[in-house]
Amino acid sequence: MICFISGGAKNGKSTLAQNLALSLARGGTHYYVATMIPTDGEDRERIRRHVEDRKGLGFETIECGRNILSCLDGADREATFLLDSATALLMNELFPPEKNYEMDVPAAKRCAEELTAFAGSVRNAVIVSDYLYSDAIRYDRSTQVYQQCLADIDRALAAVSDTVVEVSAGQYIVHKGALKL
Amino acid sequence: MILIIGGAYQGKLGFARDAFSVTEAEIFDCTGASIDFSKRCVRHLEEFCYACVEAGVEPKDYFLEHKDQWRDSILICRDIFCGVVPTDPIQREWRQAAGRLCQYLTVEAERVSRIFCGLEQRLK
Repeated sequence: MICFISGGAKNGKSTLAQNLALSLARGGTHYYVATMIPTDGEDRERIRRHVEDRKGLGFETIECGRNILSCLDGADREATFLLDSATALLMNELFPPEKNYEMDVPAAKRCAEELTAFAGSVRNAVIVSDYLYSDAIRYDRSTQVYQQCLADIDRALAAVSDTVVEVSAGQYIVHKGALKL
Repeated sequence: MILIIGGAYQGKLGFARDAFSVTEAEIFDCTGASIDFSKRCVRHLEEFCYACVEAGVEPKDYFLEHKDQWRDSILICRDIFCGVVPTDPIQREWRQAAGRLCQYLTVEAERVSRIFCGLEQRLK
């Protein structure tokens, strides 16, 4: 079962994703694939809060900020994977530190393919993304490319997912499949 | 008239192609403050609205004046309504004018579809 979750910031996506992953795991192995590579104190504080939220839920954490298929090395593919988030993963791939954060569009395309392959390689996955497409700001080129690459990932994942849910103010809009918690 | 709305890059045109067999030759891409309604599918209404604001024209008035021309159209507009109020006065007015147009069009439309990650959510 592959579930794709998106929506605006601070609407309850991660909470739903955790509950969904726990429900899919049915007490079996469940991994939390952490994609954010912290760059400052603010990031570390966000991560600390997320780790706190997951405490006692039995997730095994896999740190994987790039090359998402490598998170499967040594992992049980029959288990349940919670990947949070495609947004952070793409950020790391599209603006690599070793290239001085210069835009790497081929890496973003590879990232999209790898995420689709990841979804096709595991029994259960819950993948979280962010909906950042509905404002009236005329962005610079690199931000537009980032939006477009994330939207490409979102559409590809939505297409292969069994369930697609948009979270708004803690409420769930089911666009595809059924939500079973 | 069919109205398709949704955020940037969500697959609105792809949906129009799949659901209504829109072909390349039938698409009008808005870049200025006028629209060629002889094309069945008009996309980027938000860009039309931006040009209207720059030209001091109310986009909704333009649609009222050409009402007999878009009865059977497929209209596509980017959802630009969910962000913070823009600080730039033109962008602020752009959002307002596009919102007024979309509210008018949703009343007139026989079908309104919102596209989310390539999936249709039927609003009307």
